[in-house]
Amino acid sequence: MCLLACRDAQAKLFDAQSFYLDNGLEVVVVSNRRAPIIKQMLCYRSGSIDEKVGKGGSAHLLEHLMFRGTKKISGQKFNRLMEENGAESNAFTSTDVTCYHQFMDISRLELAMFAEADRMNNLQISDTDFELEKGIVYQERKQRIDNSPLALFGEEVRRVLWQNNPYGRPVTGTEEEILGLKKKDIETFYNNYYTPERAVLVLSGNIDVKTAKKLAEKYYGSAENKGEIKNTVDAKVFSELKKIQTKIEMALPDVKTPRLLKMYASSSYQHEAENVYLLQVLAAYMGEGETSKLYKKLVLDEKIALGVSVDYNPLSRSYGIFSISVMPAEGVKIGELEKSLEKAWEEALRELNLDEVQKVKQKMLSGLIYLRDNPEDAAYVVGVMRGIGVTLEEIEQQADKIREVNYRDVLSVAKNMIEISPQVTAILYPEGEKNAL
Amino acid sequence: MRYRGRRRGKGIVIVAIIAALSFIGASYWKFAQKSSDLQSLVDDSELKNVSFEANITEIKSPQLGIKAFLLEDTENPIVSISFIFKNAGYASDNDDEDGIAAMTAALLGEGAGNYSAIQMKEELESRGIRISFNADKDDFTGALLSTKENLSKATKLLNLMLVHPRFDDADINRVKQQMISALLRQKENPNQVLQLEFNKELFGKHPYARNPLGNKNDILMINREKLQNFVKDNLIIKNLLVGVAGDVNREEAEQLLDIMFENVAQSGRLNFVRDADLSFDGRIRQIDKKIGQNITLRALQGVGRKHEDFYPLYVANYILGGAGLNSRLSQKIREENGLTYGVYSYLLLDDKAPLIVAGFASTADKYNEAEKIFENEWKIFAQNGVSQKELQQAKNYLTASNNLRFASIENVSAMLAAMQKYNLGLDFLQKRNDYINQIDLDDVNQVIKKYFTTQMVGVRIGSF
Repeated sequence: MCLLACRDAQAKLFDAQSFYLDNGLEVVVVSNRRAPIIKQMLCYRSGSIDEKVGKGGSAHLLEHLMFRGTKKISGQKFNRLMEENGAESNAFTSTDVTCYHQFMDISRLELAMFAEADRMNNLQISDTDFELEKGIVYQERKQRIDNSPLALFGEEVRRVLWQNNPYGRPVTGTEEEILGLKKKDIETFYNNYYTPERAVLVLSGNIDVKTAKKLAEKYYGSAENKGEIKNTVDAKVFSELKKIQTKIEMALPDVKTPRLLKMYASSSYQHEAENVYLLQVLAAYMGEGETSKLYKKLVLDEKIALGVSVDYNPLSRSYGIFSISVMPAEGVKIGELEKSLEKAWEEALRELNLDEVQKVKQKMLSGLIYLRDNPEDAAYVVGVMRGIGVTLEEIEQQADKIREVNYRDVLSVAKNMIEISPQVTAILYPEGEKNAL
Repeated sequence: MRYRGRRRGKGIVIVAIIAALSFIGASYWKFAQKSSDLQSLVDDSELKNVSFEANITEIKSPQLGIKAFLLEDTENPIVSISFIFKNAGYASDNDDEDGIAAMTAALLGEGAGNYSAIQMKEELESRGIRISFNADKDDFTGALLSTKENLSKATKLLNLMLVHPRFDDADINRVKQQMISALLRQKENPNQVLQLEFNKELFGKHPYARNPLGNKNDILMINREKLQNFVKDNLIIKNLLVGVAGDVNREEAEQLLDIMFENVAQSGRLNFVRDADLSFDGRIRQIDKKIGQNITLRALQGVGRKHEDFYPLYVANYILGGAGLNSRLSQKIREENGLTYGVYSYLLLDDKAPLIVAGFASTADKYNEAEKIFENEWKIFAQNGVSQKELQQAKNYLTASNNLRFASIENVSAMLAAMQKYNLGLDFLQKRNDYINQIDLDDVNQVIKKYFTTQMVGVRIGSF
């Protein structure tokens, strides 16, 4: 078994290669030769946090309208073209990036590159399509958020934690915002942000760099930078949050078992980046999987919880989010659970030592190899991480960075987070049962 | 993918002629559509001739004589093994042990032999070995993912789980609590509620109507002895199918089979599950509830994977509701009228009741309009069938996307196991696009008349 000191073939996560076109478009190539298939993913470095106040949902609505036609590929032809060529085509919008992707036979890549490059510059939005898609994203919000109590809860917690920061707004926009959007808002967003120098193209699959370069030049080389907003690729977008320590409680009719959620505005790749790997190790140690400390203490030993998970997301142009969620065992009061969690957390920190941290690192490192398996995974990881400005070098060095983590630093970053990070403790409970808790 | 012409003898000539004909037909049509400038990006692409051959072989373990399908692939030093214990899914749970298949799936990895649950998980995690079990309606399935380096250890651990599961009291009690809590949480999500109610409405007294997690009273009564009996009766060599994919050669894979399934019982005592006798009489059960968006599921009689109507029906469904945004239902309800985010249909290939299932969601103010269009489109489809152009589009998608199934090594091993379940043969991947291309318009329109004209059964939840 390859333990911590050893540097094997996995020193790099993907062995990706990258280059820039003259217009500023960055291209990253991840080769995978298993089958004659490839994923093209074009990520624009813009998402819901780039929207103007009151214009929530613009980035997402634009993402939908990108499938509604250009001068050359008009109306519904884009979708038909992808279908006839066996491509699985889709897109997603997040707070920071908007990505368009097709997974297809390698023989269809050129067609997909042509079509993707075409809609970078030549989108045409008709009034009819605009109104239709507005209706569709409204329905999407209803489906994803309003029909899911946990999604509604998450939205509220983020709103409180992020105060007036754009990260506190829902990516879909609110109902009112969606219905109030105008075609001009979408066109402005498109013109400002959909430019080659604010995008990263990932080609992940059966291709070499030389061919990728030639084809990228051929199809994306003439794309223009016409927006007013210049490259902010690796620039920080950060404003300090008030150091709140707030508690919120929410009751929803369909909730059947209570939940406890603690969320901290913490470090990210763009804010105190030196802490990112420390917090990753901390999250894995505390609550990733059933060998983690909090699971052992709260679920296995005390039997006070049925499930616990700790999640850390450093992918942000502002703070990263560290969260702990716990589901109480039947009959356990939330107040009791909160105290046990606090106690278990402190105990776990006291037990953190060289051996423990090595075990956690080994667990984290052992799974990295699987990321090379599916070309869709690599495209997603590289597209989103480069999209928020994590350097390719940093992406490749995940394993080394995890190996370098020192347990004493993990302890101090943990202490710091609990004491001074902006934080929210949130409780979700079944309607009418608050008193019973 | 290239055809393995050498083995096909004179058959290759016929295939080549058919291919030539359809090529001319297709390009003529495209020319007529004036999209030839875009099509040339495919026809002239320098990437169009990348060669690929997926050689699936059948292997047999030297000692136990266990057979499996293997696809060797050395792209990454990892191996995936998928296995199916046929007819050991939750529909065959004993009547008073509803949930035991699901509970066994949750407990097999919780400790075996000398490993306690926690020791087992630590061993797996430190080596990056992933082993999982699942009980679906028909079958009990499992999967193993490992690096090449740890493969031998991984297969030994899997063997321990199958042969010496501990079923410690503490683990049983914890999993019971987790399952009961999961039963409660199913009710939080309207879509899960819909799915459960839909199964009840459709299947009535047939075991397919069961909750996949079982029922609370039975779960509470399950003990170690019952779990051990479940394993002994159901997880048996006689019903085993295995797919192996990744960086492992024939000889290595054959030996691994002996390690993995050593001392697994040859035969046992499987419960028989009868075919479901369903009546499709147009009944729609309505559940009134204030939720963000109204939702509905509908079903019609379908066919199983081995049925002669499978491919034409697959293509027919693709055109109606399987083609994403390009399907007829999506075009009418979403793209042209903006009434939904999602409308779809698919074939459900369960052994005892194959179905055509459809569903959509729409806010209460738009739902009636969406439902009217949905029902009308369905009727038009059933009455008039599809056009040659639609058929060609469907064939183009289904054949051109064929290689996407190789995306992940786990997909591949699962496919290899499924190929055996459905008797698709070692050369399935070579033949599969022919199966699609050979379908003609009459085939599709005949199955549409046969299957889509009956009345649907459904459930809807929301404010109406």
